[in-house]
This record gives sequence, C-alpha cells and structure tokens, in this order.
Amino acid sequence: MGRLCDRAAFEQYAAQAEQRWETLWSGDRWVISVGISECSIAKGALETYRHLELLLSDGHIPAVLRRVGCAGWCFAEPFVEIKVPGQPPIVYGWVTTDRVPDLLDALRRGELRPEWALGVRAGESWQGIPALRDHPFLRSQRRLLLEQAGIIDPESIDDYIATGGYRAFLKALFEMTPEEVVNEVKTSNLRGRGGAGFPTGIKWESGRRTPAWPKYVVVNSHEGEPNVFKDRRLLETNPHLVLEGLLIGCYALETPHGYNYIGGEHALALRRFQKAVEQAYELGLLGDNILGSGFSCHVRVRTGGGAYICGEGSALMYAIMGQRGQPRTKPPRSVEEGLWKRPTVLNNTETFASIPAIIRNGGSWYAALGTKESTGTKLVTMQGPVRYLGVAEIELGMPMRQLIFEVFGGLRDGYRFKGVQTGGVSAGPLREEELDVPVDFDALTPLGAMLGSGGFVVFDDTVCAVDFARYLVAFSRYESCGKCTPCRLGTPALVEILDRIRHGFGRPEDLDVIQYASKHIIDLSLCGLGQVAPMPLLGMLERFREEFIEHITERRCRAGVCPMTAAAPIAS
Amino acid sequence: MEPTKAGQRVDLEPLRRVLEERFRPRDYREAQELVVGACQEAQRLFGWVPPEAAQLIAEHLGVTTNRIYGLLTFYADFRTEPPGRHFLWICHGAACYVAGAGRLVEFLQERYGITGQGTTPDGALTVHVFNGCLGVCDLAPVAQLDHHEYVGRLSLERLQALIAELQGEAQTEAADGSTV
Repeated sequence: MGRLCDRAAFEQYAAQAEQRWETLWSGDRWVISVGISECSIAKGALETYRHLELLLSDGHIPAVLRRVGCAGWCFAEPFVEIKVPGQPPIVYGWVTTDRVPDLLDALRRGELRPEWALGVRAGESWQGIPALRDHPFLRSQRRLLLEQAGIIDPESIDDYIATGGYRAFLKALFEMTPEEVVNEVKTSNLRGRGGAGFPTGIKWESGRRTPAWPKYVVVNSHEGEPNVFKDRRLLETNPHLVLEGLLIGCYALETPHGYNYIGGEHALALRRFQKAVEQAYELGLLGDNILGSGFSCHVRVRTGGGAYICGEGSALMYAIMGQRGQPRTKPPRSVEEGLWKRPTVLNNTETFASIPAIIRNGGSWYAALGTKESTGTKLVTMQGPVRYLGVAEIELGMPMRQLIFEVFGGLRDGYRFKGVQTGGVSAGPLREEELDVPVDFDALTPLGAMLGSGGFVVFDDTVCAVDFARYLVAFSRYESCGKCTPCRLGTPALVEILDRIRHGFGRPEDLDVIQYASKHIIDLSLCGLGQVAPMPLLGMLERFREEFIEHITERRCRAGVCPMTAAAPIAS
Repeated sequence: MEPTKAGQRVDLEPLRRVLEERFRPRDYREAQELVVGACQEAQRLFGWVPPEAAQLIAEHLGVTTNRIYGLLTFYADFRTEPPGRHFLWICHGAACYVAGAGRLVEFLQERYGITGQGTTPDGALTVHVFNGCLGVCDLAPVAQLDHHEYVGRLSLERLQALIAELQGEAQTEAADGSTV
C-alpha cells in the first residue's frame, strides 16, 4: 500500500474499502466481532477472543473473527457480535469463555440464545430478539461520536474509510478555505468538551488572528479526573475520528504541527492512536503535501506520567515541552503564547472528534442538536451502583433524571439514591429533588453543579457526605502541583478539618472555617483546577449540611463510614 | 522483566538501543519533548528509573540529570527506587470510592504504612494507590496487578488474601533462587 497522491486516488481506495466492507457483511461467512478495550480486557475479552479463535480453527464454521472497540456498554462486557449468513448481526453480552462453546453450538443448531442477547443490530426486532437501538440503555441516546463504536476495528484505517471516514477532511481540504472551516465550526456553536465550555470556533478564530508562526494544534487526551473515562474509550474505539478532527483543526489554523497528549496510564488508547497515526502516514493522509493539495501536517504523540494537573492547558504545554507540568499565570492566553511560546489551539479529544460530523453535515445541522446554547451531543459516564454502567452519548439538554434512571437504568436493587456528584472534582452534587435540571453547560451552574467533562457519580446512602467530600478534596490535595500557596496549603487545611470532623473532633465553628478557607482558595489560586478544588466540599456542605452538623454535635455518622474515635467532648 | 535491585549494576545496553532506535530528535525542542517518553521506556525496562539510566537519557537528549530528576519526582507514575516483585495499582477513582475502596486504602496505611505508594517490608509487593480512574468501573473496587491483570470487586478479605498470595509467591521464588 503506497501513499495516495491525489483525491482521485483516495476515492478509488475508498471505493475498494467500501466494497470489501460490503462483501464482509453480505458474504457467506460468519462475522464474529469481539469488543476489545481496556474495560472488556479486564473482564476477560481476550480470553473470549482466544477461545473463539481456537474453536474456529478447525474450520467447521467458515468465519471471520474481528476485533472491534468498546461500544459503551461496560455492564455487558465482554460482548461478542455474531452475524450468521442470512441473519442480521446479533450482539451478545456477558460472553465469558465458559459461554463461548455453548453459544457457538447453539447458533450452529439455529438456536439464537435470546436470553444472552443485548439486541439485534438492525432496524427492527428479529425472531423475538429486540432491536439493539430499543435497548433501554441506547433508546434515548443520540450517537454521533460512538456511531461506529463496536462496529469498526479501531486498528484498521480501511474500516474507518469504508464507513465514511476522512471524507470530512477531504471536503475541508479540497472544497473549503480555512476561514470557511472556522465559520462552519462557529455556526455549529460547538463548545469545548473538556469542562469550561468555551466556544471552539471563537478559539480557532483567535488562533488564526494571532500573527506569530509556527502555530500548534493540540489535542488534550489527558484524563486525570477520578470519575471520567470517556476520552480513552473514544480513542480506544475510534482513534481515526479524533485524528481526522485534529487534521481539520490543523488545516483551519494552516499549520503543519499537530499534537496529541495522552496520559501514559491509558496504554491501550495510546497504542491505538499511535497506530492510527502510522496508518495515516502510510496512506498519505499525514505528511508532506497531503493528496497533492499542498497542505502538510505532522502529528506527534506525547505522553505524561500520571498528574491530574497536566489536564490544565498551560500545564499540559509545559508537560509536552518536557518540563514539570505546572500552570502559569494568564494572560497571555495559550492561543497567543502556548507551546514553545507560539499560538496554540488546545481542545479536548471529544471536541476534535465532533468536528468531522460538523464539516460533513454543516454547522447549522449540528446547531439543531441539543439546546440553543449547548449544541450537539456529549459523552457522559455514570459511575456508582447504576444498572447500565458505561459511556453514553446524549443530546445536551436531557434531564438529569432521565439520564440516571432511563439511560443508565437507575440504581441496582438494594441501593437507595442519595445524590449525584457532578463535574468531576470541580463542582458539587445534586439531590433527588433537583434532578429535573437539564444536563447542559449552563443550567447546572446556578445549582453549584457542573457538566464538566461529563463524569457523574451516583452515590447511595452507604456513602457519607462528609467522607465523600473529604475524598474529593483529598484528591485535589494529592494532585496539587504545589506552585501556588493557596492551593498547596489550603487543600491540606480543608482535609485536616474534614478529618477532624470525621473522627468526631469537629467544632461548630469548623463549618465557618471551611467557608472562609475555601473562599481564599477559590479567589487566590493560580489555575482553574485550584480555583474549583473546594467546590465539591462547598456543594456537599450545602446539600447535606445536616450530616455535617450531626457529625459535629452528635458524633454520629449515619452511613457508619467515619471512624469517630473521639472519646470525650472537647472544651470550647 | 525482573525489576533491577538497588546496588546492582544496571545493564544500560537495552536502554541505549531503544534510545538510538526511537529517540532521535531533529532539534533541541523535540529533544526536550522526548524526555518523559524516554524515562517511561527506562521504567518499562528496569521497573524503575535508576540514576545511571537518567544519566544516559540526559546525555542522549542533551538535558541535565537534574531536570530529569525533577520530572521523575513530579509525575506520580515514575519510581526512583526499585519496586517489589509484584506491582499493584489500587484504583482510587470515584466509582471505586463509592463501592468502598476507601477501606482498602485505610487498611494499607494501617497494616503496611503505605500512603500513596510504597513497598511491603519483605519486598514482595509494591502498592500504588492510583489517584484517578482506571476506567474499569464495572468491577469497582478494582486493582490492576503487574500492569495487565485486573482483580475486581475487591473486599478487604479479598485484598488481604491477594497480598498474602503474592507474598507467598515471592517467598518461594526467592527460596528457589530462580531470580536475584
């Protein structure tokens, strides 16, 4: 496979890929796809794959065995999709190795094992197995980024091209000027998916306006928060989508320098993205003079070694430059002075992944999704004792109640809902009665909650609000880079106070000290992460104040979690 | 690969090969960008980043050892001391916390004095409390053993049993003299 030298060569290559894809699905061989991603590997997907390989090796079943990415349904891993010729593909969940022989035998006999099926990947139900899209987990989702998740092989550029990949990049490259690309993104009103929600188009425009050269476009794939795992799933399941978005970003900024910064602990996401980059180079979609257009682009992958702070823009750039990832004072903003003191446009993985669809279908099409101010779809993860744990993609504006109790299936039996922590470690929780708030960038803020990067944690009444607040603040304390004093000394002070309360040595005035110290941290910290570090605590304190008071006055933890070692009351 | 012990001479040859093959910066900027990656390679090879390796990386990429030490101590994943025979990442993400990982972390502190990261006194096991999310929330509370195997739905008893098992294994290995 050589480098493609012009657009016609690409079209020809794509037509061949499409044809191979077509033949695969309409052929007379079985197509068996196993979802391989970090979460399914943990639950034994590799063993399932090897077992299938072994059973198929005798040749009784003519079959193609494929690896696909994660499809978001972590709760049903490991999953296997089987297409028997003449039937629509059926997705089976919970296929651990002990079920493999059973399942294959049953299918050979023509039995479908509906009790293990998640659904059939077709427009409607088939032979009593409901359609996959009618599954309660998927029914209310709107999948753009995850459209091909679990269907294409993430390590195959051909699969991506066969399902429409890189067409958006070609459209931008050959039919649009960079200004038109930026305008399209502006029309879409796409807002940054990393947490702050800054409009992407405006960021790109100011990047274009800054005259210094060279410029850099950077993908922020560093996911250090303790409750988010969407970006790595996206990279594991469709790395080319992110790469295509990055390419379009580089074209819009007219720069050949693209970067992706991926946390070193996300090994599989890193490997798959690197592979995607290599494949794109081989095919000539990266490199000098791409498809004869005169536009060149080089993408470098950089990694860090486990520091939450590196998700902050300026810290991430220092980390790429091989320095300690610590933030700096702003201004100048990074679109003026970023990587190597040059204009740098930094966006989240998910933001870049949204770009191809915007270019393909137009900005106004995208703007019609979601709400007026928060357009489009968002990847969200829900953790805690929910029934359908995983990654979902919803249109922004869906009520929180629907998200928790419909998409994620509500709480498992035996758990009682107490609250949902929002915005990673940067915002407060919501209680049951506040759940009708829509999930978007703006509606959550007045409640002290936040969409953030879309990581939510449901907790039940076995979790103590004081202890949970302590956990969230202790995370910030541990991850504080130590550059500025309010965060370095303030967060340990908060943890200390909370520990005192947890052990039953709390004093009534502690609650005021918390407010006071938090205000200092919020007002005086250098970077965004420090400025929000006390937010989860303040949110917990506001929502579950009675629990804090109970701890202090009655030395009682109703969840029975806190140690409560205090023996005698403290003289005031 | 078996982690390198303290005091043992470090064979730098494999690292030198990797550096020469894959870490070939075109300018001083790229050289600096590659430092962290080179340290990760060293840790993959030796189980930690010995001073000799840091020195080699510094020379190869034209930075100071001091700078490398600064990076190694900044990022949580790097070790400047040799680890135990086994390596356990205990996930301390929110999902695991909600499922009771706090008790596991407390246990490690009470029993072994390990906060954040540390090695059991017999050198069998290095435990690292992973401040972040391993992304395997369906198995919460979860731990990752030796960077590939996951142990899910941990209770205090299961963690204790796991540690005992790993310590036993390490002892047999040491008695066999199969390594060291």
